[in-house]
Amino acid sequence: FLGAGGGNDIQWCFSQVKGAVDDDVAEADIISTVEFNHSGELLATGDKGGRVVIFQQEQENKTQSHSRGEYNVYSTFQSHEPEFDYLKSLEIEEKINKIRWLPQKNAAQFLLSTNDKTIKLWKISERDKRPEGYNLKEEDGRYRDPTTVTTLRVPVFRPMDLMVEASPRRIFANAHTYHINSISINSDYETYLSADDLRINLWHLEITDRSFNIVDIKPANMEELTEVITAAEFHPNSCSTFVYSSSKGTIRLCDMRASALCDRHSKLFEEPEDPSNRSFFSEIISSISDVKFSHSGRYMMTRDYLSVKIWDLNMENRPVETYQVHEYLRSKLCSLYENDCIFDKFECCWNGSDRQVKFLSLCTSDLSNIVMTGSYNNFFRMFDRNTKRDITLEASRENNKPRTVLKPRKVCASGKRKKDEISVDSLDFNKKILHTAWHPKENIIAVATTNNLYIFQDKMN
Amino acid sequence: MLGKGGKRKFDEHEDGLEGKVVSPTDGPSKVSYTLQRQTIFNISLMKLYNHRPLTEPSLQKTVLINNMLRRIQEELKQEGSLRPMFVATSQPADPLSDTFREAQPPFGHLAPPGLLPAELVSTMPLESCLTPASLLEDDTFCTSPAAQHDGATKPPPAALQPVKDSFSSALDEIEELCPAPTSAEAVAAEPAAHDSKAQPSESDVHKPEGLPESRTAEPKLMEPLPGNFEITASTGFLTDLTLDDILFADIDTSMYDFDPCTSAAGAASKMAPVSADELLKTLAPYSSQPVTPNQPFKMDLTELDHIMEVLVGS
Repeated sequence: FLGAGGGNDIQWCFSQVKGAVDDDVAEADIISTVEFNHSGELLATGDKGGRVVIFQQEQENKTQSHSRGEYNVYSTFQSHEPEFDYLKSLEIEEKINKIRWLPQKNAAQFLLSTNDKTIKLWKISERDKRPEGYNLKEEDGRYRDPTTVTTLRVPVFRPMDLMVEASPRRIFANAHTYHINSISINSDYETYLSADDLRINLWHLEITDRSFNIVDIKPANMEELTEVITAAEFHPNSCSTFVYSSSKGTIRLCDMRASALCDRHSKLFEEPEDPSNRSFFSEIISSISDVKFSHSGRYMMTRDYLSVKIWDLNMENRPVETYQVHEYLRSKLCSLYENDCIFDKFECCWNGSDRQVKFLSLCTSDLSNIVMTGSYNNFFRMFDRNTKRDITLEASRENNKPRTVLKPRKVCASGKRKKDEISVDSLDFNKKILHTAWHPKENIIAVATTNNLYIFQDKMN
Repeated sequence: MLGKGGKRKFDEHEDGLEGKVVSPTDGPSKVSYTLQRQTIFNISLMKLYNHRPLTEPSLQKTVLINNMLRRIQEELKQEGSLRPMFVATSQPADPLSDTFREAQPPFGHLAPPGLLPAELVSTMPLESCLTPASLLEDDTFCTSPAAQHDGATKPPPAALQPVKDSFSSALDEIEELCPAPTSAEAVAAEPAAHDSKAQPSESDVHKPEGLPESRTAEPKLMEPLPGNFEITASTGFLTDLTLDDILFADIDTSMYDFDPCTSAAGAASKMAPVSADELLKTLAPYSSQPVTPNQPFKMDLTELDHIMEVLVGS
């Protein structure tokens, strides 16, 4: 595995942890999404209580060259509220399913956040000045009696404590009958897609009262429904291309230029089933929980229950690489089905397009060469496509001092457990890492446990 | 179950269940395969029918569990096994799969097993212009012609009654408070929109031919209990409220009106109006006053409040 040996390997160190310390987790605090913005300066998290918390990286202190800036709370706001669907007598959860940042165009920052039914465009702006010296108003806002005004003055801007305001600029509602699982901003930065279990809609960022349906897999007879959409993403460079994954382990690539309703895929990516691994749970574990294009757009990565697969867009019949995340769980699938863990939706992410990383990937022309994904027991895994090495790390408050290199972990599948190894039966399946994010430019990663956010950095020498 | 530090006690048992699936034709291991299959079947049923979330259940999860059940049933069918299946709960085990079976024949010749829904007969013609998402919600909840619908004897396919779902789940809760006799009447409540008289025996208005055969063919496989609406609440994806219904249909407020004689929305509405009379029947044993149909009734304000509480699930 990636160890402290090679000079090119990343050595991960604990940097910060955010969130409550106690073991008793408040449901509203459960983190449901993590996303860096395009510069990496801002890091947003969404939680089950419908809140968004944005952290900002401190400007690098030139004197402290051995560590990158810390992330501190920049803004917190309530993005979504719980709602009640009176016709179905069901609650609509306020949980934030996804956050996606828009590239910055001016002083303000914009992000899209979505729950099961409604997408919102939020503007986050700074205010560090305020006007003072009104003629008709007192400083506290009360109106003055006009008859007491004897002189006139021009109000001036005076500095004030920095205030970060978040305001909803657009609300995209009432377009999804089923639960939204993905949003993805197009490379034209004008449109975006939202995907639910059966449909994908295309929106214009400026227009909220209309969206266009581009994929619809709802069968005429709902009783025949056997497959749902699980994730969707726009191609990073081609604004008419997007992919969507399904609960049967397939990925479809569609071109919006082919027809208005992309019911016919341009490409269908599917790996034939391995007959030696067949079980009752084959279908469930093949369900894809996340799909992410590589930076160049030449590859895409999919996450299913037990593995991460890298696909070459030019080859549909099988992935080019497969990495086993926690193969030792294959013999536990029945228990994991019983306790619902088999339905956990793990995400995956690529490394950022860092200069150093680029050096490592001379053999492939793609800057995407490390993949990261979460597992149980607060473990997360990284796979290096070039060296074919992998590492398991743990996000925990114990044994984590800043700038100490994280110790690799190992799970013992069977047989004699070596020292420092953890046996499969000791794994805590309530401690799952579903959401991870990699800084777009540097080797900084954000890893979300149930209710804590860990930030790790590579050791700078 | 696996948890932090949990030690497994019955290694052999676990191996039998968790180990790789062996071919059903192997002699001694056929038992463990059958046992495994049985266990998974039971677990799947319990997941579908015991789960009562306040929010809509995940469609993906429901679909995956349904697929699991279907696959196992297909296997059983192929094996020609008529051995009674252990139903873990007293709730109806089967209606979902029955309706699946019934629904299949019409499309059977069109849709070989592996065919994906996207490639099935699509009602959405390829248009030359983009389809606004709002128009999508025009698709009817009557997802297939009446002839294919399973009878309304057992949990009626909710496709017929979109709004029924919220009412039915509410009725469900009320029924839980009072035992079965009303459920037959409640079942009859749905076709009441189509029939003027509500009689339990007439509730299978849309019974397809296939139903009696399948019933006799697998007599003991599952015993569907009449009138249990659990299924419609659990299998959220069978009910598909359309935006049209929400925006344009008359909302039946007869439940909240004190004048029960006003029947609900007229024939033009797609909704199955649950008129006050039908609702009355289901509420009859619950209410302390004897109630007969076609009679104006006065309900205590407090009783109404209580019912409202139950309906909104507080």
